[in-house]
Amino acid sequence: MSTTPETLPPLARRSDAAYLDFVEGLREFILGKGADFEERLNGALERTASSRGRPWGDVEEIREFVHALPLGRLRDRLARSQQEMKWHAIERSFGEQRAQLTAELAKWDERGPGRLLLDPAFVHPAYTNVHFHLQPGGYYKDELSGFLYHYGTKVFFRGDNDKDELHAKLVGTVPTPSDGKVNRILDLACSIGQSSTAFHRRYPEADVWGIDHSAPMLRVAHRRAAMQGDAVNFAQRLVEKTGFPDAHFDITFAFILFHELPPRIIDETVREAARVTRRGGIFAIYDFTGTEGKSPYQRYHRWFDARHNGEPYSQDFCDCRLGDILAANGFEVAAAPLAKRAGGTGYMQHWFATRV
Amino acid sequence: MSDRAQTPEGGTPIVGDDPVYLNDPIQDATVRMLLELAAQVWVERERRLTLEALLESKGIVARDEIERHIPDAVLAARLKDERARFIEDIFKELRRVSLNR
Ligand SMILES: C[S@@+](CC[C@H](N)C(=O)[O-])C[C@H]1O[C@@H](n2cnc3c(N)ncnc32)[C@H](O)[C@@H]1O
Repeated sequence: MSTTPETLPPLARRSDAAYLDFVEGLREFILGKGADFEERLNGALERTASSRGRPWGDVEEIREFVHALPLGRLRDRLARSQQEMKWHAIERSFGEQRAQLTAELAKWDERGPGRLLLDPAFVHPAYTNVHFHLQPGGYYKDELSGFLYHYGTKVFFRGDNDKDELHAKLVGTVPTPSDGKVNRILDLACSIGQSSTAFHRRYPEADVWGIDHSAPMLRVAHRRAAMQGDAVNFAQRLVEKTGFPDAHFDITFAFILFHELPPRIIDETVREAARVTRRGGIFAIYDFTGTEGKSPYQRYHRWFDARHNGEPYSQDFCDCRLGDILAANGFEVAAAPLAKRAGGTGYMQHWFATRV
Repeated sequence: MSDRAQTPEGGTPIVGDDPVYLNDPIQDATVRMLLELAAQVWVERERRLTLEALLESKGIVARDEIERHIPDAVLAARLKDERARFIEDIFKELRRVSLNR
């Protein structure tokens, strides 16, 4: 086994890494068993519902209850702070190396084996201008957005994805089309290309394309793939308007994309995926589970994440029925929830849809 | 730095900068400073433990040498910069306490 090169640039100082390591631990503590907020607050919510003999109604009712508790407000304060601390440290540390990092990106733009297609005339639709997860400048307004995102998600995954293990695992469970043919793969909203390269490794003969609207993300994706020697192509395109021919792909993939799209664009994107995925091909999606069957605390957390963690579209996404939207657009869907991950918001599910 | 304005299309309205969660903004600032302080304590401890392990493994410095060491001008200037950074990290939170309640 060859060792993969480290594609995440080092922070400016050892102390920045130690600071972020602290934030990772703090995050684990606040969102997990350490502070045990979830169990305690959910317990209070459930006891109240049963003693008054009425289940919780809308999320606003749950919010009022949680906010009346000092523990609930403190939890929110801490949850917000760990996210702000993370970005503060990453932005400053990479910001201090702005000139070198910019030059580093430029050095790889033209190198192979894969290609990087950026569109200098690209216009970002207004709805994409959101600072998701409070990332400063969002996904595309800082030329270092891709590096910020890479370090930010490293902390987010709390050590579980330092070597892209999570991406490899998720990509590894995507079913191959039943006729076995996999010549072309499309990774929708590929960010820094961790799923795209995992697909290339799983299907080395296939032509893999990662698309995203953010040039800074794509430049990091391209640099990362080139450093690893992975022949993957990246292009600056919208997921709802990919520009690829009809029935072009055998597998189309979207990992945690849909909860960051407004309902109108969710519809358009599913329609576009139906257009570019060939009959018998697979459209594989991983995203948040729906609101149905959620505990009151989980519903609260979804609201908090939407309003206080820069995820304006996630509540609407969780309330929508993606399976129905897929079915209405020519897909046959098999969906099963993934195992619950300890702590955090990480309740994901997959939709493996076959184009019929 | 980067442009702060955002333009979401519908959805859950996102809260503005520096929301207040506790009973008043000073409580929020206090918690933020406490977290920063804890982070800084860890940063220091991590470095010191690394340093001491290195020094020991190389047989270079005995502990009480560190205790008695007097910084030269270069180190003194560096310490001053680091101190400013340390204070900024923790007490920048004070700038975020808004004038109005
Ligand atoms: C959470 S990340 C996706 C993570 C990624 N799929 C992976 O495998 O790690 C969301 C990405 O969606 C991109 N994005 C959001 N809306 C988009 C759109 N309409 N068209 C293309 N990319 C979009 C963002 O730039 C961002 O990189």
